[in-house]
Parts: sequence; structure tokens; C-alpha cells
Amino acid sequence: MSLQSGSAQATQNTAGNSAQEKSVRAAALTVSGYIKDAGNGEGLIGVSVYVKETGTGAVTNSYGFYAVTLPAGSYNLVISYVGYARQTRTVDLVDRNVRLNLELTQEGKQLQEVVVSTKREDDNVKNIEMSVNRIDVKTLQRIPALLGEVDVIRSIQLLPGVSTVGEGATGFNVRGGSIDQNLVLLDEAPVYNSSHLFGFFSVFNPDAVKDVKLIKGGIPANYGGRIASILDVRLKEGNAKKPEVSGGIGLIFSRLAYERPLFKGKGSFIVAARRSYADVLAQPFLTGDLKGAKFYFYDLTAKGNYRINDKNTVFLSGYLGRDVFGSDFGFNWGNTTLSARWNHVFSDRLFLNTTAYYSNYDYSLNSDLKGKRPNDFFRTDSRIVDYSLKPDFSLFLGKNTISFGGQVIAHDFQPGTATAASSGSVRTFGIASKRAMEAALYVGNEQQLTPKIQLQYGLRYSLFNYVGQGEAYTFRTDVPLGSRREVITTVGYRGGEVIKTYGNWEPRFSTKLDLSGNSSLKLSYNRMAQYIHLVSNTTASTPLDIWTPSTNNIKPQIADQVAGGYFKNFGRSSGTGSEFEASVEVYYKWLQNQIDYIDGASLILNKYLEGDLLSGKGRAYGAEFYVKRNTGVVNGWVSYTLAKTERQVDGINNNNWYATRFDKRHTLTTVLLVDPPNAKRWNFSATFTLASGTPGTFPTNRFEYQGYVVPQNTDNARNNYRIPPYHRLDLAATLQGRKRPGKRKDDNWVFSVYNVYARKNPFSVYFQPNADNPRVTEAIRYSVFATAIPSVTYNFKF
Amino acid sequence: MQRYSVLFLFLAVVFALNGCTTVIDAKLDTGPTQLSVDGTLTDLPGPQTIRLTQTAAYFNNSQPTPATSATVTVSDNTGKTYPFTDPDNDGYYVWQPSTKDTLGRVGRTYQLSIAYQGETYQASTKMNRVPPIDSIIFVKRKLNPFSSTEGYRAELYATDIAGATDYYRIRFSRNGELQNKPDNIITSQDGGFRGAGNVTDGLVFIAPIRRSINPDSLYNLNDVVKVEVQSITLADFDFWQVLRAQITNGGLFATPSVNLPTNIINTRANGRKATGFFITSAVRSKTVSVSEANIRVRED
Repeated sequence: MSLQSGSAQATQNTAGNSAQEKSVRAAALTVSGYIKDAGNGEGLIGVSVYVKETGTGAVTNSYGFYAVTLPAGSYNLVISYVGYARQTRTVDLVDRNVRLNLELTQEGKQLQEVVVSTKREDDNVKNIEMSVNRIDVKTLQRIPALLGEVDVIRSIQLLPGVSTVGEGATGFNVRGGSIDQNLVLLDEAPVYNSSHLFGFFSVFNPDAVKDVKLIKGGIPANYGGRIASILDVRLKEGNAKKPEVSGGIGLIFSRLAYERPLFKGKGSFIVAARRSYADVLAQPFLTGDLKGAKFYFYDLTAKGNYRINDKNTVFLSGYLGRDVFGSDFGFNWGNTTLSARWNHVFSDRLFLNTTAYYSNYDYSLNSDLKGKRPNDFFRTDSRIVDYSLKPDFSLFLGKNTISFGGQVIAHDFQPGTATAASSGSVRTFGIASKRAMEAALYVGNEQQLTPKIQLQYGLRYSLFNYVGQGEAYTFRTDVPLGSRREVITTVGYRGGEVIKTYGNWEPRFSTKLDLSGNSSLKLSYNRMAQYIHLVSNTTASTPLDIWTPSTNNIKPQIADQVAGGYFKNFGRSSGTGSEFEASVEVYYKWLQNQIDYIDGASLILNKYLEGDLLSGKGRAYGAEFYVKRNTGVVNGWVSYTLAKTERQVDGINNNNWYATRFDKRHTLTTVLLVDPPNAKRWNFSATFTLASGTPGTFPTNRFEYQGYVVPQNTDNARNNYRIPPYHRLDLAATLQGRKRPGKRKDDNWVFSVYNVYARKNPFSVYFQPNADNPRVTEAIRYSVFATAIPSVTYNFKF
Repeated sequence: MQRYSVLFLFLAVVFALNGCTTVIDAKLDTGPTQLSVDGTLTDLPGPQTIRLTQTAAYFNNSQPTPATSATVTVSDNTGKTYPFTDPDNDGYYVWQPSTKDTLGRVGRTYQLSIAYQGETYQASTKMNRVPPIDSIIFVKRKLNPFSSTEGYRAELYATDIAGATDYYRIRFSRNGELQNKPDNIITSQDGGFRGAGNVTDGLVFIAPIRRSINPDSLYNLNDVVKVEVQSITLADFDFWQVLRAQITNGGLFATPSVNLPTNIINTRANGRKATGFFITSAVRSKTVSVSEANIRVRED
């Protein structure tokens, strides 16, 4: 079927016309299809298909597919999506299911500029989803960015309930969860380290990203494996209409992306690459010992798709990124993911996506990068590798949309092999790799119970087997709380032999009650289980932190969350939804089996790591307030989060509850996007963040040991003080290049200033003896950035 | 592994253009005063000293108040006891050998007993084996890759004793002055870093440990350099590692502030606690000067 730009075609489905199907159709018929962007053929996620006559409807899934089941009859479908021209189609459901594929046209340039988020109109009120935030790439590109680098992870930190322990820290914290409790998905493959250069930049190339969705609560049954949130990043499919080159030159990265149609429009692909180039510029200045020093990071993101026929589409996406630093001593780390997906439409009501993925995160350290010291060196490497298969079915049955499926994951943890040479003697030391099989089955239903009440409920069962080949250890238990437990026995296991099994039922439930005045009330509960853990004891996670499976000594983490929210849209309503949308959400979370560490824990290359771990419980609760203006000269959002997150671990803080290192009581973020009506080529943006200081452990007393003045906390307290509050203003201005008639070239300059008033925001406060007079002790505030950081970036597309 | 974190911090700062530290005012509560024990005994001949002080408010920058009028004795597993006395009333409790006797012997266990202000504290430890220092050599080098100034970088050659895991602390002095910056706290497991199992068991001390005995300025020609390798126990090793971490702890990858472990135990479970550590070390040292005989010319 060929699709014309801006047009829509409805075809009668003549395939599979069996008598059995006909008998089913007598009761109800289905209209289904794919909805795409007319400009570039990208499938559109979350488009609303509304049936005027019944007041019901559907939303396109992650692949742009929708299905609505109705009794026989003639219907008017209204297809709407913010930023795109609304379409109305008349569909006659007589005796056959109808396939209606559509293409939507983006609205005029001027209007497009003010789009804050591409999504369904009044989505926040109408959708059963709660605790979900979406950011589209257009908004991402408008937010003032550090050194001009558009960044997914830094941008989601502007949303309610999302925070970070400090700038430069890897990852993000969602509703009191630690960074390893977020499932970060890139086209369904997990990304184990989402950062370049520690946490300053994230691995997602904005040129290749289509949609970013963060789920903080009310998590549906098809997701599992992490307990705090799901960050679902979807890549572009590539322009299916015409070849396109885009890119940019910034202070850190240069970017280049190429996309084009394949097989006469039956497929398309995109390849996008970025590389930092500080090292290239610095090369002439690197002399002597620094000659040949390496410091760069790059990533390559690619995706292709091919529509075999109307029922089958395949996708292949991959990511390859690496950070490399070093001169003599060097280290590098990076992720590789590959995911292959097959969309199959069984019938007009049954949709299947099957994903197979591979994900790898590894790092290596080498003390002799230049190979000059064959007699004295130290090398180590570590990796985690996942292989997974994941079928997900959706069955569209009118008022019910049933989803079911499963997942199997083979985890292979290789915590580290070290080779050390000293004066010519070479030794190798390895920590046995750890293997695990994770599996899950789920079923869920989204049900329109009454015209005003919608339910989403489901159950997921997850199973985890810690398996050989490997060693299992048992540790002493008769030691004082909080101190190292020595290993007692070591048992070897053969390949595939089960060492320990865990299983969890994970119920999920959400409900939405429509209220008058374009508002709704939502409630949700979910239980999540997490079987793999990031072992990290530093304020910001380092690239050398390792992942470990649940073992006979480490229990799976479990979280129960209840959340409630009130959603309301108001103000002038236009063709693209309401002027304002607002929400208030409250949540409470109970966490089990949270990992903490003994004082002075040894985490790297430690075979008996489990003996240095402690386990406890957690609780997190808070309220999130959010108001967003979708249209107007000044649009954007304000969000305020009031939150508390605590842990209780026997052996820490005298076994009392203590605030986590990333606990922030208040967080206020403001994002303003300004589109002056008179300045045709200019637009502006500003963000402001104000947050409580994070906690730190401050000493009370001191003593001397062999001349060193040592801090001591006589209460043995953890996180007993707060560092000063954090606030920062960022500004950006974009200048659109002049449009030349007949030319496709589209370019712009982005000027931005990060930390405009040069505040020395505290990352931490620590206590040390003065370097010159060691008897004098000082409190030292450490700030990652102490000045305003201006930048300029040039972006182009043709 | 702490060293790698330092490297990360360095890089983070370089790339972030301008990371910065500022001394600030902080108002801190002060906890109750405790007894603090600074006791490292060695197998060297001559008197041995244990210093007892009282802990103070964190920002009290004066000389620590001595803990006086305590009764301090050390006994070993052969039944010998060694009284420590404080004739000057300055908190330094000294054992004076009556003959040419030394207190410490490799392989023996030692128990410290302190009676102070109505409480009795005890600590026990063992004196472990230590290898000799084979040689100390010097290589002419730039102070760092960014500097044009040159100095002599020292390297210490010693070989870890094969078998059981050994722990060492290394101290060094320049022209008689002990180098005691926080960065000069050097500990080693089997002549290598902690954690990598016993990978370096029986090997020559690895290069980073060999080269750890340098001040930032490196050495000048004719400097006299003294290096000591001290045996310590695993508990002492943990203590020194935590101590070093706590006074050099900052930046992006800081570890949580924690109290130093102590092996000074009040015999009354609910009695007032004490801080500090009781350590017994066998010591091997070597003193050399930066002279032609010890200077090597090589690429690395």
C-alpha cells in the first residue's frame, strides 16, 4: 500500500477471510492501522483516535499502531495529536474489519515552535497513565543545556519527582530511588551506564531520539526488573520520504546524522554519530609525557526498519559508545546495545511485538597504555552482558485492551579479571563470573469500566535463578552489626546448576475517574522486584562500579508504591488542547532489601564483596505539583516537589532511620520557553532550579593519630547535616538561519549560558586538615561548577 | 583503588573547566569527650611509647588535652608484661627497656590494658612478619607532566613474603623529616593494592607502591632518604585505609564519612567508649642518599 503525503487511505482487509472470523465479526468489528508523520514517515506514539459516536477511543502504541473495536455501523473518527493537523475520517464498519493507515501533517512552522510536547491532546487528564512524563526532542532542544549539549538525562531532572545527587553525577533519582533502580531502555534494550564523562553528558544522541517517556508510578505489568522508574527512550526510524542530513558543532561534541528511505519507501534507516573533540584541538599542545594522551568519547546510534507487508515490520537498532581517557595510565568504558524487533499484526485485534536484545557494559583499566612497561603493569576489566527475548501481545477488544507476554534474560556478570606484573613476574587474578536467568510472565488489562471510570490492572510473575558456573559463599553471621562478615564456606557449582531461586508476584493497578470540568482523579498501586544491583558507595557513581546479581546472600529489592493524583486542564482551548494543564500527585513507597555498605567497605575486585554489604529497608514519600502552559508567547512549566527518602539499615546510624545521600526536601524547577511574536528568527528559553541541600555526615569531635587530625562523630550518625541549598539559572537563545526560497537547508545557532549568576553550588561539604597547618581543621565546600559557562552551538539540517 | 578515584576527580575537574573548593563556616555540635589511644609499638630496640589524649570539639585547633593518671600495661602471649608510665604527666606513656631487650617479637600477640577514669580498656593485636628493603634507587624526572622542573624520583625495592596475605605500611622521611601529608599514608596488601585477592603474593612490590615514597617536589641531589616498611594486621590496614580516606575525602566520588574503626574496647559493654588503635609492627628500614651510586638512567 503506498501512502501519499498528507493523505489517508482506508482499505478493506481481505486477508484471512475465514468463516470463523466472520462469526466473531458479527458481534464487533475492528478498525486498526498505523499512524505516521506525513513529513518523514516516522510512526507516531500516543496519537488519539476518538470515536465521536461512542465517546470511546484508542491511542497508538510505541510503534504507531492502534485498534478500535466497535459494533457494526458508520463512525466518525477524530485523529488528533498535539502539533499536527487534526483529521476526521468516516469509517463504515459493515461486515469486515477496516484497516485505516493515516499520515498526519505537522502544523505550520510558527505553531510547531510553541509545541511543548508532542502527545495526545489533554493527555494528562484523559489518559489512565499517572506519574508519567514525556519530553519530546523539540522541547529538549530548547532547554538551555550545559555547554550547549542537548541532554535527555539532564532534562528529565527538570520534571517533578526526578532529582540528582549533584551536577556531574551519573544517572538520576526518581521518587527516592537510587540510580540503579531506574530501567533505562534504548529501543527496549537496557543501558547500564547512561552517561558520558561521569554524569556530565548522557549517551543518548538527540539527533536520533524520537520519544522519551519516564514512568515513575502506576507502572504497567509489561515493565519490570527495576523498582523506581522506567525511562523508555525510543529512537527515530529514519526519514522514509527523503534523504536527510543533520548535525551540529558544539563545544564538546560534533554530531552528524544521515537518514533516508530504503526499498522504495518500504523501509528507512538513520545513522547518527557524535564525538568529542577536545583532544583533537589539544593535540598540538600535548608534548613530552602527554604526547599521545587520549581523552575522548563517542557514540554511534543506528536504526533501520523494513515493512515486509501490511502485517509485518522489522526493526534493528543499535548503540555503541565509549569513553576513553588516559596517557600512560588509561581507562575506558562503554555500552553496546543491539535490539531486533518484529511487529506482527495477527488479526486486526491482536498485535505482537517481539524484541530480542543484547546489552553489554564494560570497562577496562590499564596502567601501561603505551606498552612501554612490559615488566610492570596492571590491567583489569569488568563487564555485564545481557541477552533477552521478549514477546509482548496486545489484544484490542473494544472496552478492554489486554496485554500479555513475557521475557527471559540471561545475565552474565564478569566482575573482573586483573593481570598484574611486577618486575617481570606476571600474575592473573579473576573473580569468578556470576550467571543468572531472569524470567517473567505478565498479563494486564486496560478496561473502560463505565464512560467515566477506566481501570488498568495486571499481574506479573518474575523468577530469578542465580546459577552456576560459579562459586557461592556463606558468611559468618555472629559479627557485630555493621562490620565485615568473613567467609566460612565456598561451594562450587557446575554450569547451569541452580544456586538460589527467587520468585515474586508483582500486582499492578491503576484507575482513573473522569470528573467534570476537564479533570480527573487517578489512583495506582504497583509492586516491583529488582534482581540486579549496582554496587556503589561513592556520592556519584563511578564508571568502575559493578553490577551484581541477587545471590544466596543478596536478596532481591522490592518496592510497593501507592500514588494518587488530581489532573486538571484549563484556560483557552484551541485545536491543540487546553492552554494549561496541571496536576498534583502524592506517593508513598515501601522498599525492602536495600543495599548499603559497612564502613570502609572494599567493593572493587573483592571476591567476598557480599560480606561487606548490609541490607535494610527504605521509605520514600512526597507530593509533586506541576503546572504547564502549552501555548502562548511564554510557555513551559513549573514543578515543585516536596519529598523525603530514608533508609533503615542495621549497623548504620545506630540502626535508626537516616536520610539517603540524595534526599532533597524541596525542589522547584521552572522551564520557560519564549517565542516573541515580532522576532521571527529568535526564540529564547530559561530554566531555574532551586533545591534543598543534600545531607552529609559531619563530625562532632576530633582526635589525633600519629599527627593526623581525624574527624569523629560521637553519635555514630549518618547524614546528620544538610549542605547549603542549590540554585541555578540557565538561559538560551536560538537564532534561526535565513530561509532561502527553494533551499531545503534549515539551520540555527544556539547561544546558552549555564549557571548565569555563577553560583558556587555545593556538591558536598567535607572536613579536612589544612594543607599547611595540619592541626587546623576546615569545612570545605566542593562545587563542580563555580562560574557561568557560556556556549554556542551550530545545528543544520538539509 | 582510592588512587583511581583521585584520577577521575582530576579528569572531571579538567573537563568541567572549573571545579572549585571553598573553606566555609560550619556550626557543629560537639559530643562527649572520649579517651583516644595512639599506640604503635615496634620491634626496634629502645623505649616504646603510647600516647593517650582526650578527644575534642572538631574545630578546637589547640594541642589535644593529654589523658593523664592512667595505668597502662602491655602483655604478650609468653606471659611477659611491660609497664608504661607517664612521669612527665604529658600523656606520653613510655616503656623503658631495662637491658638490651626489645618489646616486640614477630609472631607474638600483644594485649594492651588501660585503666583510666574508672574504666578499663583493652586491645589486642599481633606482630606480623615483614620483608627487608632490598634497595632504593632514583631516576631523574619532571615533577609532573605539566612541569618543566626536574627532580629525583625514588623507588623502593622489596619483595612480598610468599604465602599468607601480608599487610604493610610504608613511611619515608627526607633529610630526617618524616613526610606526613595525608597523601603520604601508604598501605599495601602483598606489595600491591587491596582487593585484587592475593594476585601480588610473593612479587616485588608493584610499581605504584615502589614509587609512592616521593614528596610532590621529588628529591634533590644529596638528599638523605629513609624508608620504613612496617608489618601491620588486616585490622590495622583497614584502620589506615579508612583514616586516609577520611582526611582526603572530597569531590565527585567521595565515600560516606564514617568513624574510624577502633580496637580499643571498654571491658564494660555500656561504659564510655574510646577511639584510636593499638598496633604492633615489625619494622625494616633503609637509608640512602641521592648520589651517583643510586641514580639510574632509564626511559621509564
